[in-house]
Amino acid sequence: MPYVIASACIDVTDKSCIEECPVDCIYEGARKLYINPGECIDCGACEPVCPVEAISQDRRVPGDQQEFVADNARFFSVPLPGRDEPPGNAGGSAETGAIGVDTELVAAWEAD
Amino acid sequence: MSVTECDLLIVGAGPVGLYAAYYAGFRGLRTALLDSLPEAGGQVTAMYPEKPIYDIAGFPVVRGRDLVARLVEQAGRFSPAYLLADPARTLSRPPGGRIEVVTGSGALVRCDAVLISGGIGTFTPRPLPVGSQWLGRGLSYFVPALDAYAGLDVVVVGGGDSACDWALSLEPVARSVTLVHRRAVFRAHEYTVSQLMASTVEVITDAEVTAVSGRDRVSSVEITGQRHGASVRPAQAVIAALGFTANLGPIREWGIDIVSNRYIAVDTTMATSVRGVFAAGDITDYRGKVRLISVGFGEAATAVNNAAVLISPDEQLFPGHSSDAPPPAAPVAV
Repeated sequence: MPYVIASACIDVTDKSCIEECPVDCIYEGARKLYINPGECIDCGACEPVCPVEAISQDRRVPGDQQEFVADNARFFSVPLPGRDEPPGNAGGSAETGAIGVDTELVAAWEAD
Repeated sequence: MSVTECDLLIVGAGPVGLYAAYYAGFRGLRTALLDSLPEAGGQVTAMYPEKPIYDIAGFPVVRGRDLVARLVEQAGRFSPAYLLADPARTLSRPPGGRIEVVTGSGALVRCDAVLISGGIGTFTPRPLPVGSQWLGRGLSYFVPALDAYAGLDVVVVGGGDSACDWALSLEPVARSVTLVHRRAVFRAHEYTVSQLMASTVEVITDAEVTAVSGRDRVSSVEITGQRHGASVRPAQAVIAALGFTANLGPIREWGIDIVSNRYIAVDTTMATSVRGVFAAGDITDYRGKVRLISVGFGEAATAVNNAAVLISPDEQLFPGHSSDAPPPAAPVAV
């Protein structure tokens, strides 16, 4: 039951959540941030600091944002566009720095 | 080198470690609690002291900090030794000897059993992105004593409770205090922020410390803001309060079976793969594990009672009922 970042983060990437996360499991794509469900400890520290309220627990993700539950997981488990290896459980975004690419869903997302 | 002798060393003074200290005391074990953080309470104290918790048995609701205070009081009846602000580093057992744990500060703890209630691991301060090489030479991540900042120009970085509390406490001591926060909104308690705004602390928001300079020690910082661009100001002390990250750290090197790089495998007695070393709470893993404080409390009792038998094989596993051995001045239920 990890936390999930939904579409409101796209093109905002405020990163306050990254500062709060005690296990450093929030990674930076190009247009959006992603929570690694394999590393998230469900503490909820990220949720209230998001200025655009993009974060919620997977079971409370609003109906029209459901696809982001699987999309957050996909970011870590399948190779991203143009990459050979998925990021996997890297052990912290401070270690990896920005990943710099997005999932197909986010890359193709049309800005409002 | 400081040496602590005890029967049971508890590594991790969060809720589960504190409850284990109570049980160890009840079993007559001399107990020490070790934690990398400066205060007891683990994640609850460090991350959500104000959060109401609704799933502690017998408490319809309890604030995080109140739960910790009660656990400290409950364990306090048996006067466990607290070794705080000092992480566990190594664990070894000399041939034929007792278990030895050495801490980050070099203190030695000698014991017959260890209970690891380390939760998500050792908390370490998140480093200041620029200037971490100045650590100990003007840059610090904690404020252990206010006096050290007397007469200095201090720059505090961060927007949480620690940053705001430290800025306020240093205001009457330091020559000047500047608080730099990356965003306009503070995560600190509303009342603390209003006190801060009414104080002489200069608050610079939407800004970051972009350079730290000096000769032997820090003498100035560069602050770059979205509105005002970059400016350099004198600072003999920089306090970075950017929160913490946690990971298992040195426990990985103790020869214990680790699961998924973050959990410790235990059997039904809460014993790990190393004889004499037990684990309880969020850090354990087994089939069906649920990571909740409620579960950790039960694991703490299981671990301590099994440790008691390992330490003294003539002891029974069942500790007896606590109501049969009340404290000398037990409060009478009304």
